[in-house]
Amino acid sequence: MHLRGDVRIMNCEEARALFSEFYDGELNQEIAQAVKEHLADCQECREEYKNLKKSLKILSKLKILEAPRNYVSFN
Amino acid sequence: MKLLPKKEHQYIGARMNFIELNLIESARRGDSHGLNRLFSQHQRYIFNLMLQLTGDVALADDLTQETFLMAFRKLHSFRCQASFRTWLSRIAINLFRLEFRRKTKHYSLCLEKITVPSHQDNPERVVIKSELQWCILHNLQQHLPNKYREVLVLRDLHHLSYKEISEILGWSVSKTKTCLHRARQMFRQQFVNNKCKAFADDYLCICEGMLEL
Repeated sequence: MHLRGDVRIMNCEEARALFSEFYDGELNQEIAQAVKEHLADCQECREEYKNLKKSLKILSKLKILEAPRNYVSFN
Repeated sequence: MKLLPKKEHQYIGARMNFIELNLIESARRGDSHGLNRLFSQHQRYIFNLMLQLTGDVALADDLTQETFLMAFRKLHSFRCQASFRTWLSRIAINLFRLEFRRKTKHYSLCLEKITVPSHQDNPERVVIKSELQWCILHNLQQHLPNKYREVLVLRDLHHLSYKEISEILGWSVSKTKTCLHRARQMFRQQFVNNKCKAFADDYLCICEGMLEL
């Protein structure tokens, strides 16, 4: 990662390594901004990040089920 | 009966609320109301966690029962330094790991077992929803090593914090982040490899590619 003016510039490898934390909003503002800048400039990484979000959206479709029985009684 | 020593209360923090603390104290005295309340508050969560990790309803059912039996037997050793749910999750995950080490058999997924009934849906819609459920569980079971499945399920299905996950899995926060990153990459890659239609347009498909596996 290097500086261009006041803005940090990331390469694809650096940006992709941070996608997970970026998705969770766990990066500090400066690093998150650098990831955003990279995504704005790089179509491949944008595609990669979009796919990550889609796969997690699919995962979220897994239903929460009721437990099938009352297991134990403590009376 | 063992009441919590005064010192331990200092470590409880915001995550352990007063009502739950009372229930735990009452359960420690062997009071059935306390035991039943703790059980009913957490059984759905533990059952779903086990189902998402094993993909097997009967096994998830057994592991849930074992989790609560063990938790109530060991309640005296619960120090209140983590939330009750975190402690319970740790027991459940350990039982899951033990089960996996003991049996190397392949757990098959059965579509009927995970059908999600809904009164509002027509039969075709119910089938599509069931296929999607199968598809997701299949991807989790068949393509993710246990540790990646554990972290992905805890974070993306139960929305626990990195800190809670690291407490449950016995990892550092840094290891949790790394494993979560790899788990998500692996999970995503399976959909891409199998040409899931959801990645070709904005429509959430039923993943025919995955069903052909």
